[in-house]
Amino acid sequence: MKKDIYIFNGGRLVRKDNTLLFESVEGKKYIPVNNIESIYIFGEVDINKSLLEFLCTNEIVLHFYNYYEYYVGSFYPRECLNSGFVTLRQSEFYIDYVKRLFIAKQFINGSAKNIIQVLRYYNSRNADLSQEIEEILQTLELLNSQETIEQLMAIEGNIREKYYKCFNKIISDKAFTYTSRSKRPPKDKINSLISFGNSILYTIVLSQIYQTNLDPRIGYLHSTNNRRFSLNLDLAEIFKPIIVDRSIFSVINKKIITSKDFNKDLGGIILKDEGRMKFVKELNDKLETTIKHPSLENKVSYKRLIRLEAYKLQKHITEGEVYEPFIARW
Amino acid sequence: MEVNGTLIWYYNICKREVWLMSRNIVPDQHNENIDLGKFLHENSFSRKKKEISFGSVKFDVILDTKEKLVIGETKKSSRYEEASKWQMIFYLKTLRDAGIYAEGVMLYPEEKRRDEVLLDSSSLKMLNEMVNEINLIMEKEEPPKAQKCKYCKNCGYFEYCYA
Ligand code: SF4
Repeated sequence: MKKDIYIFNGGRLVRKDNTLLFESVEGKKYIPVNNIESIYIFGEVDINKSLLEFLCTNEIVLHFYNYYEYYVGSFYPRECLNSGFVTLRQSEFYIDYVKRLFIAKQFINGSAKNIIQVLRYYNSRNADLSQEIEEILQTLELLNSQETIEQLMAIEGNIREKYYKCFNKIISDKAFTYTSRSKRPPKDKINSLISFGNSILYTIVLSQIYQTNLDPRIGYLHSTNNRRFSLNLDLAEIFKPIIVDRSIFSVINKKIITSKDFNKDLGGIILKDEGRMKFVKELNDKLETTIKHPSLENKVSYKRLIRLEAYKLQKHITEGEVYEPFIARW
Repeated sequence: MEVNGTLIWYYNICKREVWLMSRNIVPDQHNENIDLGKFLHENSFSRKKKEISFGSVKFDVILDTKEKLVIGETKKSSRYEEASKWQMIFYLKTLRDAGIYAEGVMLYPEEKRRDEVLLDSSSLKMLNEMVNEINLIMEKEEPPKAQKCKYCKNCGYFEYCYA
């Protein structure tokens, strides 16, 4: 499986013959190009056109983050797997509101069911969450009768708010108490971790969509907007609970990340570089964890599952194979 | 899309592949387990002097007497025997349409085998039927459903088909 590269330091990323070279005060580092899927840039890194051309030929996606707002944008080389047929179908399923609504519901369904799986796990261990699980299940029952995307969004917001409150029963460290969701900037440590984790997941999903014929600009739950990628936000909903949130619980409960890893800045709480590195490592370990796949008969990593999810959606729109979201089994 | 040698090859492996290829839904190229890469590599590997190339597929010119030309293809195993044979027949037909009469031979050195491939009236008839069927598959709105076959395990579409 191809690897992802994360650059936290400042420096210069250039093409050097047929490899990539990263130069920083700490020295030179060569990165063979054929084994990379995506590059995530956090530091102040200089790049040039010849590098972009090189990444383009090698079909490598580049994601940029900045200190305050996290995600800046991506260099998404012109689609390598272009299929006019798939793009047309994808648009058709967006324009036809009934078709669009069905897909959007499936995303929320998947997201909520994975939330419940996460809660059930902690419920069976040390946190009493049966009441919350019950409430979320009840809210979810309303999903099917909804007729607009806005109503779906409201249900999802409702579920998420209940879910985030559960974090206080799962996380033992009181320094990470959750009160309410705040984004730009995050007002406390837990919000800061949620925002950071989600923004990384969005780009990981984007890189996986790049390997399919789907156009990331056409989303179904998050409305399509010419300037922005949105399908990755849709697919990420399904994986947030099982990838991002579980990583948050482990970095805090195992004390990998503590209060010392945060900075107070511009009225918000921001993870320091050190903390980001530790969190990204945890996320990566999670993404590389393999589980047994029911229909593929072999083990697949969580990262691969994201790709498979995109394939399933692609088949839903091209082959009429009803899309069922991935639900974790524990 | 016009029927070409690659589609003939796919048709003899899996009909679903024909449809997917025709819509530009290409297999996973980064998956090391797949045979497609091997297939293309084996065939595009630049060999000595005399070869005939059809897109990415190259054949050795084995013997060139006055009245006929023999083109040969060396394969590691007979795993894709049928597909290679029909692809060869398709190219023999392409050559004939251009006024060149040729015969083919498939070589499997590791299995100490050598199969003659001829473009005769029966193979020509079957080839024409194949071309018709390929056109029919490509016209369909949806692809044939995935059906487990011996090629699935090493196919670049495996994850796509069974996700
Ligand atoms: S995985 Fe099997 S069914 Fe799917 S395209 Fe390949 S050979 Fe055909």
